[in-house]
Amino acid sequence: MHPALSVIIFTTFSGMGYGLFIWLCGNILNGTAPDNMSIVGGTILSILLVGTGLLSSTLHLGHPERAWRAFSQWRSSWLSREGVMSILTFVPMVFICGQTYIDMGFQKLIEPMAIAGIIGSVLTIFTTSMIYASLKSIPAWHNIWVVIGYQIYALSSGGVAYIMFSDWQQYLYVILLLIVALALKIITWISIDKHRGKYKREDALGLPDFGKAKPFEPAHSQKNYLQREMGYDLDPQRRTLMRWIALGFGFIFPALLLYIGLPITPVITLICLIGMMAERWLFFAEAEHVVRLYYDRESV
Amino acid sequence: MTCLPDKTDKKLGLLIDLNICVGCHACAVNCKEWNTGGITGPMEDIKPYGDDPSGVWYNRIHSYEFKKEKEADRTVYFPKSCLHCDDAPCVTVCPTGASLKRSEDGIVLVNPDVCIGCKLCSWACPYGAREYDTSAGVMQKCTLCIDKIYDENIPQERRVPACVSTCPAGARHFGDFADPESNVSKRAAEFDGRELFPQMETKPVNKYLPPRKREKHEDRRLTPKVSTVKDALLKWAKLDFTG
Ligand code: SF4
Ligand code: SF4
Ligand code: SF4
Repeated sequence: MHPALSVIIFTTFSGMGYGLFIWLCGNILNGTAPDNMSIVGGTILSILLVGTGLLSSTLHLGHPERAWRAFSQWRSSWLSREGVMSILTFVPMVFICGQTYIDMGFQKLIEPMAIAGIIGSVLTIFTTSMIYASLKSIPAWHNIWVVIGYQIYALSSGGVAYIMFSDWQQYLYVILLLIVALALKIITWISIDKHRGKYKREDALGLPDFGKAKPFEPAHSQKNYLQREMGYDLDPQRRTLMRWIALGFGFIFPALLLYIGLPITPVITLICLIGMMAERWLFFAEAEHVVRLYYDRESV
Repeated sequence: MTCLPDKTDKKLGLLIDLNICVGCHACAVNCKEWNTGGITGPMEDIKPYGDDPSGVWYNRIHSYEFKKEKEADRTVYFPKSCLHCDDAPCVTVCPTGASLKRSEDGIVLVNPDVCIGCKLCSWACPYGAREYDTSAGVMQKCTLCIDKIYDENIPQERRVPACVSTCPAGARHFGDFADPESNVSKRAAEFDGRELFPQMETKPVNKYLPPRKREKHEDRRLTPKVSTVKDALLKWAKLDFTG
């Protein structure tokens, strides 16, 4: 699939934003919350990250001015559910931010709101992952690793961002999570590499009993929308490079830098975000759509 | 509503005979011709006379060469348009309700006034039946010529999709697959009508008739029977007229 910057920004920024918010809410609940200004700063950053992600995905639409229509089909569409959940989750975000900044007398609602914040964030990340995992036509996405991955990478990258606001209290947990995320990413790559080639061109043509099929003359002289959108060819060398950037920037460097304890948390967060963007770039670039069977692929 | 109807009264669709199709592209051209002036038109054409033309087509004609051991190769022309699937994944993923499957006849449509151009439906379709109109910012697809098949101003016998009426070889048939007595159901049953990509579990309504199986699996191209004058004379010499 064509790795469009807009969807890469959408999923990585909002993932980090929800992850950060989950850490904040968790620490509010177990009584290890940082000082008030840090809570305010953390929630503002969550809101900004999620907002940027949603804005980027909205601008990617052919008709951004009709985006409100996307809230209507939550009964069947994961994309619609994602839209609804992301808007609902702004409620605890804005509430916790506002109430902590100026006490409006609702302090006892903070804990229930933190619970709602965690549930909302987890559900929003889940609905985002299901947009991709529900597509049978893209085998690299149609599996459980995508669903687990979106949660874990949101928590690991959000955890790195959270260190900025929590004075290193939680850094060991974040490092642990980064290691889990790293292992998960490698398992995911092993799994998708092993499962390539499951569907054959002859299946797509409905003619499995006529021998081997190969395109004879192209259906059209120039590339069409399908080939531009779904025909991305990933060069193997590029893939190796991007995989190392994803692992290094997304998980290994942030974990090492946190372990050493360098007081440059915004830089570590930025490194982690760049790594996650490389990871998400690969998520798209490596995913082959079965429509390629009608064009240039014998198997997908 | 992007939930699929439990059941559609009719299942209108196409039966495409791969044994007959000669790959002339007439159906694709007439599809564009009809639909560019129809309810979903104009169909996008960018630099149609330039070096790098591109645009939207609802129907594309692929072609494949099949190789099988001990058989002569065969060329199969393969027209591909929306299959109006019963379990259409393109419909259920749509967040806006722009994609829909009609409960009366099973036709899958995009409402261009509601579509936000998120392109998710084109990702969900395993067959590449949807193409994005970059100028209008909305998704486009085969309508089964809904503005032709129901037009009461045209004589009944001509109310078939543009691609069907134009096919010079008679490779395309239109009808109701829900009715076992319809022309398409009977033909599909008689000649081994196939679904494309059954592994995708979309339950396509359109069916394809495969190329006919060869009676004898002999490869006439590789073992040509050239009867020379010498052979003929030998036959007469032996008075053997078999073969
Ligand atoms: S062929 Fe594709 S676009 Fe048409 S109904 Fe099936 S899934 Fe949808
Ligand atoms: S591109 Fe349009 S029709 Fe397709 S899923 Fe998005 S809103 Fe629905
Ligand atoms: S039914 Fe109509 S819209 Fe569909 S491929 Fe045929 S001519 Fe085109």
